[in-house]
Amino acid sequence: MTNVRIIQTTQELSGRWTIPILLTLQQAGGRFTPLGRQLEISPSRLSSNLKKLEEQGIIKHLSPYDRRHPLLPEYQLTEKGLFLREAAQAIQAAESGLDRGFLAEKSWNWPVMLALHYQCHRFQAIRKLLQSATPRILTMRITELCEQEIVQKLLTTEPRPGFNYWLQPDAEPSVQKLEKDLYSLI
Amino acid sequence: MYKPGLTIWYNVANLERTLTFYTEALGFTLDFQDDDNRMAMIQTNTKDCCIGFAEAETVVPVTSSTVFEVENMEQAVEKLRAQGVTFTGEIETIPDFVKLATFSDPDGHCFELSETLVAHT
Repeated sequence: MTNVRIIQTTQELSGRWTIPILLTLQQAGGRFTPLGRQLEISPSRLSSNLKKLEEQGIIKHLSPYDRRHPLLPEYQLTEKGLFLREAAQAIQAAESGLDRGFLAEKSWNWPVMLALHYQCHRFQAIRKLLQSATPRILTMRITELCEQEIVQKLLTTEPRPGFNYWLQPDAEPSVQKLEKDLYSLI
Repeated sequence: MYKPGLTIWYNVANLERTLTFYTEALGFTLDFQDDDNRMAMIQTNTKDCCIGFAEAETVVPVTSSTVFEVENMEQAVEKLRAQGVTFTGEIETIPDFVKLATFSDPDGHCFELSETLVAHT
């Protein structure tokens, strides 16, 4: 059950702007334009991303009438947002350990790596664990992870001929550490 | 209890546009500007009376009026018009009391000029 929750957390944090926004919101004082400048994102894109996070219950949008001073936050992290920010920090630490770039940018990257860590080595086993991912997107992500030398594809004959997927030995420690960090957060 | 001075704070949509209006059109001086935090303050003609601005995604114009006293209403209106201030309507006179002229800043916050008239006795 916790495994599923850990995987869901990494999936929830995937996307080009989710982690950057969560990690930058407070240092921008929760205000829209300082946040946009720090992230170098256009106002319309920032707006739509913040709206999405608000719909997911990750941030709260304060109306102009709720704000008692123009320097007070326009957006605040909810309890869920505070939890996800800590998880985002753990993912960021894991990604800097892995040194393969911004992996959470794409959906299902971290869920796939965690599935492999949870000993799901066959495609069908990964699919079963990551239920809402389509076979097409899983195939795409696994191929990309192989190209980035995070995952390796090995031919096996037992119990029947097919491919097994494994984390590369040098990737395993970062994934293991992230799993441990998220486990303790949950 | 109170220290002398008064500061008014406004949410604005665009700091540069606001500062151009307050310094060039109204003729006040920039006190400080923090570009990273998208905030600034201007010093009005009155000592310790400042106006602060911070950018916000959504700006609701403030309708309470901040009023600046002028020596001569007609001259002041003419000068500010020439500097790019758009007034709402004409000068209004409350006999023996005050002359008023209303304008708003680029975000629609309300301001007034007033010239206090000496009552005839």
